[in-house]
Amino acid sequence: MKEDKNLQQMKDIKSLQQMHADGRINRRDFMKAVGALGITISVAGSLLKATEAMAKTPRKGGSVRMASNLHGPDDQMDPIVMTSNIDYTRAHTAYNGLVQMRENMQLKPELAEEFTPNSDATVWTFKLQKGVKFHDGSNFSADDVIWSMNRHLGEKTPSVIKGFFSQVKEWKKIDSHTVKAILNSPDSDLPAKLSEKQAKIVKQGTTDFKKGNGTGPYRVTSFEPGTKSLHVRNEDYWRETANFDAIEITAITDPQARVNALIAGDMHLISDVDAKMIKLIESSNGVHINSTKSGRYGGICCLKNTAPGKNDDLVKGFQYIQDRERIVRSILKGNGEVGNDHPISTAYGADHCYELPVRQYDPDKAKWHLNRSGYSSAELYVAEVATGIGDSCLLMQNNLSKIGFDLKIKKVPTDGYWGAVWMKEPLNVVSWNMRPTANSMLDIQFGPGRAWNDTFWNNERMGQLLKMNLAETDPKMRHEMFCEMQALINMFSGMVVAYHTNVNDGVSDKIQGIPVNPLGSIGGCTWPEFAWMEA
Amino acid sequence: MLVQAIIKRILISFVTLLVVSIIIFIGTSLLPGDVANIILGQMATPESLAALREHLGLDQPPHVRYFMWLGNLFTGDLGMSKAGSGIGTVGTEISVMIVPRLVNTLRLAGMVAVISIPLAMSLGLLASMYPGSRIDRAITFTTLSIISVPDFLVAMILVMILAVQLGWLPSIAYLSGSETGWQLIRALLMPTLTLVTIVSAQIIRMTRATILNIMSSPYIEMAILKGVNRKRIIMRHALLNTVGPIVNVIALNMAWLIGGVVIVETVFAYPGLAKLMIDGVQTRDLPLVQACAMIFCATYVILLMIADMASIISNPRLRHPK
Amino acid sequence: MSQEENTIEEETAFQELPDAPPRRKIRFTISGKIGIFFVLFWIMMVLIGPYVAPYNEADFLDESLFIVPGGDEYPDTDYQPPSKVAYLGTDYLGRDTLSRILYGARTTIGISFVATLLAYLLGVTLGIAAAVGSEWLDMSLSRFNDAFLSIPTIMMGLVVIAAVGSTIPILIVMTGFIYATSVFRVARSLGQDVMVSDFVEAAKVRGEGLWWIITREILPNVVMPLATDFGLRFVWIILFISSLSFLGLGVQPPMSDWGSMVKENLGGLPYGSIAPLMPSLAIATLTISINLIVDDISAHSGGKLSNRMI
Repeated sequence: MKEDKNLQQMKDIKSLQQMHADGRINRRDFMKAVGALGITISVAGSLLKATEAMAKTPRKGGSVRMASNLHGPDDQMDPIVMTSNIDYTRAHTAYNGLVQMRENMQLKPELAEEFTPNSDATVWTFKLQKGVKFHDGSNFSADDVIWSMNRHLGEKTPSVIKGFFSQVKEWKKIDSHTVKAILNSPDSDLPAKLSEKQAKIVKQGTTDFKKGNGTGPYRVTSFEPGTKSLHVRNEDYWRETANFDAIEITAITDPQARVNALIAGDMHLISDVDAKMIKLIESSNGVHINSTKSGRYGGICCLKNTAPGKNDDLVKGFQYIQDRERIVRSILKGNGEVGNDHPISTAYGADHCYELPVRQYDPDKAKWHLNRSGYSSAELYVAEVATGIGDSCLLMQNNLSKIGFDLKIKKVPTDGYWGAVWMKEPLNVVSWNMRPTANSMLDIQFGPGRAWNDTFWNNERMGQLLKMNLAETDPKMRHEMFCEMQALINMFSGMVVAYHTNVNDGVSDKIQGIPVNPLGSIGGCTWPEFAWMEA
Repeated sequence: MLVQAIIKRILISFVTLLVVSIIIFIGTSLLPGDVANIILGQMATPESLAALREHLGLDQPPHVRYFMWLGNLFTGDLGMSKAGSGIGTVGTEISVMIVPRLVNTLRLAGMVAVISIPLAMSLGLLASMYPGSRIDRAITFTTLSIISVPDFLVAMILVMILAVQLGWLPSIAYLSGSETGWQLIRALLMPTLTLVTIVSAQIIRMTRATILNIMSSPYIEMAILKGVNRKRIIMRHALLNTVGPIVNVIALNMAWLIGGVVIVETVFAYPGLAKLMIDGVQTRDLPLVQACAMIFCATYVILLMIADMASIISNPRLRHPK
Repeated sequence: MSQEENTIEEETAFQELPDAPPRRKIRFTISGKIGIFFVLFWIMMVLIGPYVAPYNEADFLDESLFIVPGGDEYPDTDYQPPSKVAYLGTDYLGRDTLSRILYGARTTIGISFVATLLAYLLGVTLGIAAAVGSEWLDMSLSRFNDAFLSIPTIMMGLVVIAAVGSTIPILIVMTGFIYATSVFRVARSLGQDVMVSDFVEAAKVRGEGLWWIITREILPNVVMPLATDFGLRFVWIILFISSLSFLGLGVQPPMSDWGSMVKENLGGLPYGSIAPLMPSLAIATLTISINLIVDDISAHSGGKLSNRMI
């Protein structure tokens, strides 16, 4: 009986998709009809996207305006120190990487036309594309790769992803278009890490990065940090040229103003739509929400090396007081999923541990644990570093006050937060973007002794599992290892993860072909090369 | 005597600016964390921080930096922005960052001034000519309401109505850099409208209060007793004496338009100077913050100096202080 | 203000000693009376607000309160219109707007009032000192004051909060200090006017001490204009603190203050929610009322200082 129903639903969706593709029903009617079949909005959204991709072919031309959420005088064009979505978007216009993360987290060759490991993944060989030119006309070769990659090595490098490459012993040039990465220990995730924006390839010996001299699909024509940047299509691109004639990238920091700008047609793309404004965009003409499931999360770090976080009962109490369902329902407005006190959401696919039951809201258990901890109050440092983090902490505070625990929230500014509060104050909040692989995520945050182990929870077993996992190739074994790691974090670390947020961006209906990629805003910031504008 | 008074006023302004420079330098030095923290953000390590600080020259003692900065200021060199720098790359020159922002700020302030000063002064005059009348009460109550609500609410309500609901004007004041003439005016219309509303309300109130104030002074009362027509009194006798206080209010409002419109710049995403300074504070780009702050303070000091001179010239009694 | 509204409560000058200044009774117009009503109302709410509020300011209202028969099991709680559950509707997190306004009265008015007092204490003391003190003292105080005055208030607030954080004592001290600069200017110029008046000259000739002159001549003569200025300054401080809240630098959550309530609920405006309008209305009723009272008082006391000194 149930089978039949599913089958019928599938058929209905198919016919609706066809109707939309033929232009017989518009976007809103499609969403409404699919919604009536009992399908959630974000899934309906991806169905819609698939339908539209099915129906249309890319069109060249048009000038697009994009507004990110943050910018300032510290906007960077030097890939290794990029930390914000606006920087990443610019990185994807100006530069290429060796490897690229494409649609649905598929790794594809980019400047490296081939990448192969040796049998135990301790040496990786990269064969490079020939005939690639930088924007200044010079040829791309192995020297540029070696120079770019070496900038991530060494203690003193400011590279923000140097942790990804701590196992790299050296980058070796074999010939003008072949390089090898020699590793100290096996790393089957190396190509995925190389797909990160910070690992983009720049011209050897570059000193002025503001020109954005890369091999990428657009040339930088002007770059004003904290104001805007202009990019025009690189007509000599080494593969299929990009679709837009020109791109303007800016930021509108006020969330309401950003949404207004999209609705009023002043911007074609906006990043990071506040959950509360999603409904507004959905009910407006000519614009829609692009919602992608992601591993992004905001959480609470209880430092395990100091009071009160080293008290396991306090952490347990904080975990049981999380009304996860309500956070997703009321604060994220359904655009996210419940967290299970570890960073691996369902967006990591097979690496997420479905077997581990989600911790439920249980004030009685929380009360019991908190009583046992001996604490009746604590101070939590909060900055708006992640979607919903401030609001979910307020909900937690309110629920704690009902069971007689006084949580004081100390709200601090976002600027300077990472240097002054995070990993310093005993109880603080954190945000983590999704990483290309579950292993790199777990390693960077929970690897024993890692620089960004932000709960100071150093678990030997965790370290072993991370290492073994990188060398393991059997998917079943890998999953078991991931499950064990997630369970360890869930039970013993000082991390409270109540929710994961979707990546929610606002898009004009004219813009098509945004890749599905949860690693950052608007298709993992990779839209410039692949999206296009309808006439 | 007049020249002496003016020279004295200029000297005073100069001393004030020197004091300002010290305050700004100390104030910004008190900000916790530094630009290296901000650039590296969540992903900083002690080693990478140390390397970046050395590269940016953040390791010199404060008084050395102050005198270097002051010296450069006199030669018109504002220095380099720190925030855009990485290792092996240099930041932008601050003058390069500031000039387009300053142009934007002046544009907006100019548009607001051109509309609001004549509008506000005539409305203020109108209200004071018929005190207690219906028109006076309407003007008084409207201006009172405007100055009594937060400015971001005024901005948001205007956006909701004119941009989102009616679609007449763009919701943000975004400039591509290629706009000219009408396009430019249209792009600036929303923030202009908001600021005109706020600034006019202030000037109207002050104009009205000042004129009514002077109307109650003995020599005007004398004129009233002599049976001179009220309009004539205002136009012939009162108006000249209101120049001092009104010019003062206008100067204060203009200074505010240059440095105090952060919220309007934020709401309309307008790339002005105040927003640049805020970004500078948030990224701990101290040379940038100091440069912006000096511009704001200098504007204020100079505008007030001009206002004072105007009142000295327009009011003979002030030329000969006791 | 309007002339015809004047109630006639004539001065009772004959009861007073011949050389005492005539006692004047302020006659409030209708608008002034409305102002007094609202100000008294809010003062009342500062005292009893939290006790009459239906909920705690921090309470997320339970979803079950909003279930309608046959409706969703988990209904939305945010931006709800006024109902029996929440008389003024709910805010962006599903908290009761009325309760938050009532609690917020204490924070908003309390902080602003204490800050204004502080501004006066500092500004008047230093301003009078500059007016009566040596030329050198006047010069140095004035230059420092001008320097601080020239920095845009919001920028100063921003830098201070970025440097030392935003707690209530810091907000109060900072705001008080920032506004002391403008009070200083007013107090100094009023003081100077009095200092050059004939009766002070006369007192000096009589050989009265400085302290006597300050307490007997200057202070009584500057009290009235300063009192009206106090009202306006208080309004500006309320709006200043709201602006700080808009930039995310106000009081600590979950404490409510009216400025941050407007800011955090602005997102409800396009949905037609009254959540951002109610706290604005609270601010407006208070600030407009104060202005109305001030208007009446200054109309009564006449514009020019010299008028009152006769």
